[in-house]
Amino acid sequence: MNADLWFGVVLLCLVMYVVLDGYDLGIGVNLLLERDLRRQRELVEIVATAWDGNESWLILLGVSLWGGFPLAYGVVLPHLFIPLIVMLFALILRGASIELVSGADTTPRRWVLVFGVGSLVAAFAQGMLFGALTQAVPVVDGAYAGAALDFASPYTVLTGTTAVALYAGLGAAYVRAKADDPLRAAAAGRGRVLLALTAVFSLSCAVRLDATAAPAALSSPYRVVPFVVLVVVAVAGAATAFWVFPRAVGDDRMEVAPFAALIVTVVAGLAALVVVRAPVLLPPSLTIASAAAPGKSFGLLLFGVGLNIPFVLAYNWYAHRVFRGKYQVPKSERPAATSPAQLALSADPGGRR
Amino acid sequence: MTLVELSRWQFAFTVAFHMTFPALTVGLAVFLTVVYGAHWRTGKLVYLQMFRFWKRIFAVGFALGVVAGTVITFEFGLNWGVFASTTGPVLGPIIGMEVVTAFFVEAGFIGVMLYGDGRVKPRSMFVATAMVALGTILSTTWIIAANSWMQTPRGYTVQDGRFVPTDWWSVVFTPAFVWRYPHMLLAVLISSALFVGGISAYYLVRQRARDFARRSFSIATGLLALLVPLQLMVGDHVAGDVVAQYQLTKLEALEGNWGSTNTGYNVLVIPNMRTASNEVMITIPRLGSYVAKDLSGRTPTPGLAATPPEDRPNVWTVFWGFRLMFYSSMLIFAAAMASVVLRLRRRLFDATWYHKLVLWMTPVGVLAIIGGWVTAETGRQPFVVYGLLRTDAAVSHLAPAQLVFSVAGFTVLYLTLLAVFISYVVRTVRIGPERDFPDQDDVGDPERPNTPTEADPDDPSDETASARGEAMA
Repeated sequence: MNADLWFGVVLLCLVMYVVLDGYDLGIGVNLLLERDLRRQRELVEIVATAWDGNESWLILLGVSLWGGFPLAYGVVLPHLFIPLIVMLFALILRGASIELVSGADTTPRRWVLVFGVGSLVAAFAQGMLFGALTQAVPVVDGAYAGAALDFASPYTVLTGTTAVALYAGLGAAYVRAKADDPLRAAAAGRGRVLLALTAVFSLSCAVRLDATAAPAALSSPYRVVPFVVLVVVAVAGAATAFWVFPRAVGDDRMEVAPFAALIVTVVAGLAALVVVRAPVLLPPSLTIASAAAPGKSFGLLLFGVGLNIPFVLAYNWYAHRVFRGKYQVPKSERPAATSPAQLALSADPGGRR
Repeated sequence: MTLVELSRWQFAFTVAFHMTFPALTVGLAVFLTVVYGAHWRTGKLVYLQMFRFWKRIFAVGFALGVVAGTVITFEFGLNWGVFASTTGPVLGPIIGMEVVTAFFVEAGFIGVMLYGDGRVKPRSMFVATAMVALGTILSTTWIIAANSWMQTPRGYTVQDGRFVPTDWWSVVFTPAFVWRYPHMLLAVLISSALFVGGISAYYLVRQRARDFARRSFSIATGLLALLVPLQLMVGDHVAGDVVAQYQLTKLEALEGNWGSTNTGYNVLVIPNMRTASNEVMITIPRLGSYVAKDLSGRTPTPGLAATPPEDRPNVWTVFWGFRLMFYSSMLIFAAAMASVVLRLRRRLFDATWYHKLVLWMTPVGVLAIIGGWVTAETGRQPFVVYGLLRTDAAVSHLAPAQLVFSVAGFTVLYLTLLAVFISYVVRTVRIGPERDFPDQDDVGDPERPNTPTEADPDDPSDETASARGEAMA
């Protein structure tokens, strides 16, 4: 029971991470599709205030797994070794690049590029991780016993690409909500293409899932019914986002609509996955119960860590709320007597002064 | 190089890289809180200048610390999978507490702290900065609790080959934690005070940003004068009450003795692990006994020869890690005491020889901390959980290609980022705090109407400055 509750917490971390860092990494991917250095810089600034909080959900995800399901943690991480290390490299460079770009007077082109490429690589690596979790992990005496390139397969390349497309879509939706033209117009235009790509890739992943070591368990009606409902909700969210992406641009209430709709899609989609895979954590047969830590751990986990999670959600909400509304170049960085519009029109290719 | 040795090198390298940044940012966060609070209370623009300038270095250092820390969390599972599985029930929840009570607090408020200037009320800025500082201190607390459990494990039983917590109070408040926690907290405050002092000293030497430099230097040296003597006492307790009591092999290795008859203090040792002897040994007679608080000079320091070879830590790293920390602390102590004397004689801001000394000492605090951790961690060997789980049994059974990939990757990446960070600090210092002195309509308070210009005493073009600046100096 405790283990199941804790698994719920792990899933919460996963959902929060995919939504928050999804748009964050996605903005980085979108950056690579922009040409103008000033626009690229603005994209970096948009995530600068929230990236740390977004990424902290990844740490909590890892630690939650470690504390609650230590056997799984110690066995699955070596299996995911190379894509996880690559993801870490990318996140390291990304984090550094954000502060180096944000603090600079003249936009450093190289670090802007690092931010973009780092985001792309991290997104792809995360998709691969997801795909690799459908593989059976070789375990001997409770320890990992596999080979370095086990994770690499056409399926994980597919899931990697899916993640990139999904995150890019989330990023474009966020930019639509947070930026003014011309960034907003570019994102709004791109949104449909990204969503279409995501749909195609996701469908391929779903179809090929049955050929992996982690097929969908759809035998019982207790699974099929929720699964179908969740899939319908997910598709509805995606369709709404698709429809509204380039529409009603400039209408304040509609700016955040694509992003909100995509959140619904992501949550419903992940829930659907859980419905068809639970309680197996790792294929072929490592279940929640068998991987769980013994009793007393869950005491501190559920009460100490779990009860703090509402506060954590509050901090995340606060951080986003302080910087709500459209992104504005801070007063201290604008040349004297310049409005944002004047700045946008000025001939300066990359500097802020 | 065996798989275990490679994994150990990787962990040592990644954790040392990580440590470099909190060694600066914990203290800087506290400093920034104090400084912004001073601006809010007194309205003096120089404090806002100090906040804005030091925030630049803080921001990049903090980001690097965060991403390097993310690596460590996953590294437990990646390279030390057996360690992760066996200690997970105990250490996982501890680190989980760190994430929710510290990391998320920092992350939630750092956006406001770094980007809220001019956008939120000064009160909110102050609260946000204070929350970030609180987060860094809580982070220190939990991580020392986790590591201290590895040094003196308590409050657990063993079930199915795993450590299972039985009493969380004992898990957290282990014998090692009680003294190592204040030791670490003081250490990071001291290292950042020295860092601030060193950079301020640069401006004093160059006679730039005088008001800024003097206030920064004064706060930094004042803190050192208060904290370093305290730290020496706390450190003595760590050695005597923790290491000597619970980790005798670590003590033996850090003092560099093989036999147990040496009453002297080893200043320099070149050990030979294979022959269990020292090739070179320079000893100050009787000082070892004095350190052990026996002024008769007759108390010998225990040596490592009595321990079976398979249980011995490597004397090289433990001895030299400790000496790095200890000798650095002596140097910092001397500098702190010198600042007191100079301050009493009202020459603190005029003694250029002293400013140059402190400038050269800028990174010494960080080096001391790294030395201390090398002692703590390599001295705990061959155990990862002291006395219970050996390091070579705790490693993941990785394919060699995986390990080579990660070791090579981290080495290249981290060396590059270290260079980037150092060059960023140097560049920021060279440009200086002059650009951070607030303009009249940019005082940082969005609700304050335009105030008449408060002259920047360091701007030579400001005519009112020369008159006012002298008065303020």
